Amino acid sequence: MVFKKLGLAVTFSPNARALLKTAKRLQELSSAQLCLIHVGDKSKSSETQLLTLLNDVGIDENKYEMIWQNGEPSKVIIDTCSAKGVDLLIAGALEKESLLKYYIGSVARTIMREAECSVLILTNPSEEQKPFQKFFALVEYSDIGETALDKAYKFAKLENAKELTLIKEFKVPGLAISISDDNSTLEIEKKRADWKSEEETKLKVFANELKLTDIALKTVCLYGKQGWVSSNYVRENGGDIFIVPSPVKKLKLFDRIFQHDMEFIIKQIPCALLIVKSKNY
Amino acid sequence: MNLSPYDITIFFLSLAVLLFFARAVGEVSRYLKQPLVIGEIIAGIILGPTIFGSLFPDQFNSLFNSSQAVLVALQGMIVLGVVMLLLVSGIEIDLLLIIRQGKTASLVSIMGVIAPFSIGFAIAYFFPERLGISDINMRLVFALFVGTALSITALPVVARTLMDLNIFKTEIGLVIIASAMFNDLFGWIIFSIILGMIGQNTHGQEFGTLVILLFSFVLFMFLVGRKIINFILPYIDKFTTKPGGILNFVIVLGFIGAAFTEYIGVHAIFGAFILGIAIGDSEHLKEETREVIQQFATNIFAPIFFVSIGLHINFIQNFDIGIVLLFLILAFAGKVIGCGLGAYWGGMTKEESFAVGFGMNSRGAMEIVLGTLALQAGLIQEKVFVALVIMALVTSISSAPLMNYFVIKSRRYLTFIDLIKPENVFITSAATKSEVIKELCNRISAYHKLSNEKLLSEVMAREELISTGLEKHLAIPHAKVNIPNPLIAVAIHKDGIEFDSLDGLPAKLIVLLVTPKNNPELQLKLLAEISKAFNNVDKINKLAESSHATDFILNLKQLS
Repeated sequence: MVFKKLGLAVTFSPNARALLKTAKRLQELSSAQLCLIHVGDKSKSSETQLLTLLNDVGIDENKYEMIWQNGEPSKVIIDTCSAKGVDLLIAGALEKESLLKYYIGSVARTIMREAECSVLILTNPSEEQKPFQKFFALVEYSDIGETALDKAYKFAKLENAKELTLIKEFKVPGLAISISDDNSTLEIEKKRADWKSEEETKLKVFANELKLTDIALKTVCLYGKQGWVSSNYVRENGGDIFIVPSPVKKLKLFDRIFQHDMEFIIKQIPCALLIVKSKNY
Repeated sequence: MNLSPYDITIFFLSLAVLLFFARAVGEVSRYLKQPLVIGEIIAGIILGPTIFGSLFPDQFNSLFNSSQAVLVALQGMIVLGVVMLLLVSGIEIDLLLIIRQGKTASLVSIMGVIAPFSIGFAIAYFFPERLGISDINMRLVFALFVGTALSITALPVVARTLMDLNIFKTEIGLVIIASAMFNDLFGWIIFSIILGMIGQNTHGQEFGTLVILLFSFVLFMFLVGRKIINFILPYIDKFTTKPGGILNFVIVLGFIGAAFTEYIGVHAIFGAFILGIAIGDSEHLKEETREVIQQFATNIFAPIFFVSIGLHINFIQNFDIGIVLLFLILAFAGKVIGCGLGAYWGGMTKEESFAVGFGMNSRGAMEIVLGTLALQAGLIQEKVFVALVIMALVTSISSAPLMNYFVIKSRRYLTFIDLIKPENVFITSAATKSEVIKELCNRISAYHKLSNEKLLSEVMAREELISTGLEKHLAIPHAKVNIPNPLIAVAIHKDGIEFDSLDGLPAKLIVLLVTPKNNPELQLKLLAEISKAFNNVDKINKLAESSHATDFILNLKQLS
């Protein structure tokens, strides 16, 4: 089982139905529990409206837990998830926010940065439910990196995905400086190619070590600014879902000004994004 | 003042001579495995009053001192050279890396500045005459200058050394490059403040105003300017010809920055440097573009500056052994102790810490730029400048060999071939996979004081997960345990042993790899190296024929 308890913030926005349908599909797929969170007053009319919506989508009333809570939306959602033991929070988000909103932080972006559980962000949820087929996973050689890859692999298997592409980014800062001491661009090009091949072999060894044998696996090593190159690669290659290990610390405003690797992904989300957090986050 | 046709002739002739000699001696320097910049500086010393000027004073004067107009024109070129040099230096400063560096790099960065700066400052403040101060009233500024001049690591020399030693893409390489970048940024900010204190302020602003303006400029560029440039760059890339459009944009911005800082009373090079950082931070500035900009500056502008250093100073007349030695001692002590301690406190071993210390010890361009400006401002005498240049040359030349010595001593950055020691290679006739693994574990634990039981259980646990029998007669059982450095043992089985290999072939080479638990990437790196090195059957068959351990190591080195 990939996730045991799914959480979804329910709103009456145009995307609400699509998000509920996705939550329902994923709940059935991984036989998980579902926790629905509505930020706002529990009035007769809103309750009726919500029940109609859930009926429409076909979520059985015995198969979810409903939480009504007032307060600042992102805080309520994050706190409720922690209190209720949700291990995957599903939320909708714009692919890209306005510059001001990006820095101030929208509800969805705050959730991505601060939630203690894993978060699945859908930028373009559709009512017509289709399993994710093209999985991309960002590799990090660490404990959280292994956890994220393990989730990606299990999730891809559940979805019966076509392929899982493992992406490893690397960069050697200051490489171009060595040109100023007369290393020619050709030499640097060659060095970079050698490093790339070394990284590729390492990535294959890593995949072998984790026994990811039941799915068509592809490995890619990218040179460049971390977070940015992988995000672009996933977008250009039409990824359905991008799975990334979460940073070790919560992302703050400072991480937006001096961009953290993850902020490059969050700023312009390439497709559905699953941020995997470790248990002791 | 106009340039006469004769002036123009001399101007181009002197430029041609400067560029030619810079390149020629620079090439000799590279041939001798020394930094290019060292050759360029030596070329200037040869062309200047030290050698050429004293042997052929008439020719020297007619080429480099013919008229005021030519001197001004040449001076303009030299300023342009330094501004370009600082612009490209800035572009390669990775601001995010400096800000987000890990614990070890932060400690090395901070200690690498604090130690040399305080040592230099203290000695220069309390014994200013010993270090050749020109005006005792400028004691504080002089002490600040000496402290700063000892603190800036030469980034290009560091990059070349890391490249030559093949440790650019390693943990130690990253720590050194991140710290050197931090040094650069810090050094230039202090340097600009010193210039303000010297009274280079052309617009008569108060010192306090200048510092406020300076920090506002840096903050604005790092917080807002950087983002604006990042926003504009993709459009320049899209709508202009390549790479000219971007190159033009970068240089135009650099020159605007230079003009601005000169206007507010800080030297032009500081503006170019900060603009360089803001431009280099953009993810839209492609790696190829960076390289083109680097080449452009390196081959044309930087040599003009470096060769000009020795052009008007007699290095023999101004050579003061006392000052030179003192500068050298301060330079070595400050950096090696400071950076070494930083690395050690950051968790590196003693050998690695020394490697970091010596790696960070190289000085070069920045000290000399600083020295040139201090000399022009009358803060230092020529003999201090000469000592500074010699210090830069000696520290740069000695950095690579000293660092290499300690990198080799610290086994962490060795390739797997260097990690194989004869005492850990043996020929086996074991009958089963578990028997040979036991023999390998015995071998490693006997020589390296490791708990045999623990090692064996770790290796077997990994083996149960999935067999490490690979293809082409190769097996690499492995485990991560609590050890500081990786260990390798090799068993050779002449007939091959059943190892549940992927291709079903029996394993003839069984390589046990034990790596530190806290470094999962090192295990992957070594596993990748081993499987790459033994990638064909013939090679393994030949190695399996080795009669004893040294024979095996010799064969391995020959076949690699």
